[in-house]
Amino acid sequence: MSSSTRGRIGFSCAYTPLPAIAAAGFVPHRILPLSASPDQAGRYLHDNLCPHVKRLVDRAMDDDLPPMAGMVVVNSCDAMRRLADAWRHVRPKEPVFLLDLPATGDAAAVAFFATEIERLAQALDEWGGRALETGALKHAADRYNQLGALFATLRQQMVQGRLPGGRSRLQVLYNRATEMGPAAAADMLAAELDATGQDCGGDGVPIYLFGNVLADPEAFALIEAGGARVVGDDFCTGSRLFSPVEISGGGEGFKGLARSLLKRPPCARTFMADKPGALVDHVLAGAAASAARGVIGHTLKFCDPYLARLPIVRDALRDAGIPLLLLEGDCSLGSIGQQRTRIEAFIEMLR
Amino acid sequence: MMKSYFDDLVSGIEARLAEDPENRSPRKVYALEVARLGQRLYGETESVAWCGVTAPFDLLAAMGVTSCFVEFVGAMLAATGMEGAFLEEAEHAGYGGDTCGYHRAVLGAARKDLMPVPDFLIATSSPCTGGLAVMENLARHFEKDLFVLNVPQEASDAGVRYLADQIRDMAAFVADHTGQRLDPARLRQAIDNTNRARTLLEEAYQLAQHVPSPVTGRMMGNFGVVMALLLGTEAAVTVARTYRDAFARRVEKGEGGLARENLRLLWIQNRIQFKNPLIEMLEKDFGAVVVADELNAITWEAIDPDDPYEGLARRAISIPFNGQGRRRVDHLQKMAASFKVNGAINPCNWGCRQGTGARGLIGEGLKAVGVPVLNLEVDCIDSRNFAEGQLRTRLEAFAEMIAGRPSPWH
Ligand code: SF4
Ligand code: SF4
Repeated sequence: MSSSTRGRIGFSCAYTPLPAIAAAGFVPHRILPLSASPDQAGRYLHDNLCPHVKRLVDRAMDDDLPPMAGMVVVNSCDAMRRLADAWRHVRPKEPVFLLDLPATGDAAAVAFFATEIERLAQALDEWGGRALETGALKHAADRYNQLGALFATLRQQMVQGRLPGGRSRLQVLYNRATEMGPAAAADMLAAELDATGQDCGGDGVPIYLFGNVLADPEAFALIEAGGARVVGDDFCTGSRLFSPVEISGGGEGFKGLARSLLKRPPCARTFMADKPGALVDHVLAGAAASAARGVIGHTLKFCDPYLARLPIVRDALRDAGIPLLLLEGDCSLGSIGQQRTRIEAFIEMLR
Repeated sequence: MMKSYFDDLVSGIEARLAEDPENRSPRKVYALEVARLGQRLYGETESVAWCGVTAPFDLLAAMGVTSCFVEFVGAMLAATGMEGAFLEEAEHAGYGGDTCGYHRAVLGAARKDLMPVPDFLIATSSPCTGGLAVMENLARHFEKDLFVLNVPQEASDAGVRYLADQIRDMAAFVADHTGQRLDPARLRQAIDNTNRARTLLEEAYQLAQHVPSPVTGRMMGNFGVVMALLLGTEAAVTVARTYRDAFARRVEKGEGGLARENLRLLWIQNRIQFKNPLIEMLEKDFGAVVVADELNAITWEAIDPDDPYEGLARRAISIPFNGQGRRRVDHLQKMAASFKVNGAINPCNWGCRQGTGARGLIGEGLKAVGVPVLNLEVDCIDSRNFAEGQLRTRLEAFAEMIAGRPSPWH
């Protein structure tokens, strides 16, 4: 059976082991919080819950989803756990898998997460997928690594001002790639690379962006129209999903995948016990490596992992003399549109 | 300041208990032990660990460490009406009002030097993401080592083994920091105390199910969650026995905690921690008594004193806030049935994603067994915006509504 006939598996978090889903013969399909579905998740979820999760539930309630063979939710935060609950409730016929994700990346956490991925592999098998072998997993991981490398090239072109449409265009590609299998996504990117290359950079102020979920290309367009040139960024709806995966042979498949995922650039929810607040170093390093003149952080309302860490990020950037603008969004373009003046003033100040 | 507060509290309660040694109020015995814990935390003579809610406090006690979950500080500040200044301090430092009030108060307290500097910290990934994050911030603030216990969502073999191994590693981490190895005999004794307290608590909770219930609304507030801090010690056994015996006496005499019990209520998650008149109002005006709190339940098996790690892991995984919402709904449905409640109150603590996120499912789940739920909108720690009048009106309307319905258990 080909992957297209096996169907799609929905997912919602950058820690999802996509190679395992692809190797089982499914198309991993990220459910993005972009939709015109009416706001009705409040029936199950409180007003103070992450708008990312609420938008996904709005989409599920509105049936604004492709046909799916199942949904994989990663237990990355309280809100995601509640997403799994609500999903089961509003789509009772669709199997939901809650993948447990440790908060740390030490050896014991890797070993446990590997057993969780193995459990997922069994579920995928039950949902009509192929039984997973290390060879197939490695092959899928290679495909994702190729895709990641293509994205890295596109990012480089963007930084050099040679990607027409800039960061906004890159987001369009991220979004499309997260809704298709790795091979089809790689073909799409290869075609895009053929069309890039000419100098289209302006005199924008180099800015580093970070945050959790920012999937609307228009949001990036707005930031760029405000005079920013995005020279680096880190979002869970961006580069984080396509960072390299290392799978060695010899039955280490799930462990390799688990290790690679837990070693990814950390989302605020993941941390190292021996280095509390490592997110700060990560943002500082990203800003320095991209020679940004300023940093814009965009996080969603009610996101505990970020709410708890932003004050230390703010203090550290202040101490390092790097200007910071913090924006809070709710997955709607309106919310970032309302902050247009602040964005423009911030960039103007950096000129 | 805090040391003298706890010293005064301990001597005050001791004096009142001494007035009538034959009739020791269980709540006072409990308050005394909690105050003694506060005294030790602030006494500057013992090793201190700030922890997450599901840390194994009995194991820590066996290792000579006075330990406490940090949310206790938030609740204590609110109970004494002091939380405002500490919340403001945290907000001033950038910790917004959308986060859990317990955590904001703790961060404010740490920044204002109101928390003793710990020897180390132990974070737990359950019950909440915010709790894990606050521990990371505190470790950074105090510049002390942090150990993280990842609590799996399910008690699968792999999950239990993973947590049990982490608890073993935690014991080694603690020994490295205190210089004291874990003494197997002390550990056995601590686990034995835990098991004895567990049996007594189970009996007390069963007695509380009696109609009329021997409890009053105030008697059991925060009880189950705070009792976890005493586990492993003789104090836990004493408190549990005092409750069990007091309830047994009342049940034997056919006495209720209230002279007139009309309605029985289940309180979901945590109480409102600052002083407020709502529980008294329910009792006085409606004969409505909170007979059960969600965490006043034994969800774990007795622990093997000779090999306790697996049992400790299972206990942490078993709390109703962990895992899928369905498990929590099942737990609440069972509680509603065994306590024969007419209705449930969910305070929906603002800022608690773990708890409020499940509001809709809990409401539907309890409705399915005939128990209406009143969802409130309240910050259980922050009294600054407490809309007492509005809440009073809603509680009155709710009590009248359930009073007009037959009990689902007849
Ligand atoms: S944005 Fe924050 S709260 Fe929402 S899913 Fe991501 S980590 Fe969780
Ligand atoms: S109220 Fe909720 S967020 Fe706050 S400490 Fe308790 S479980 Fe965590």
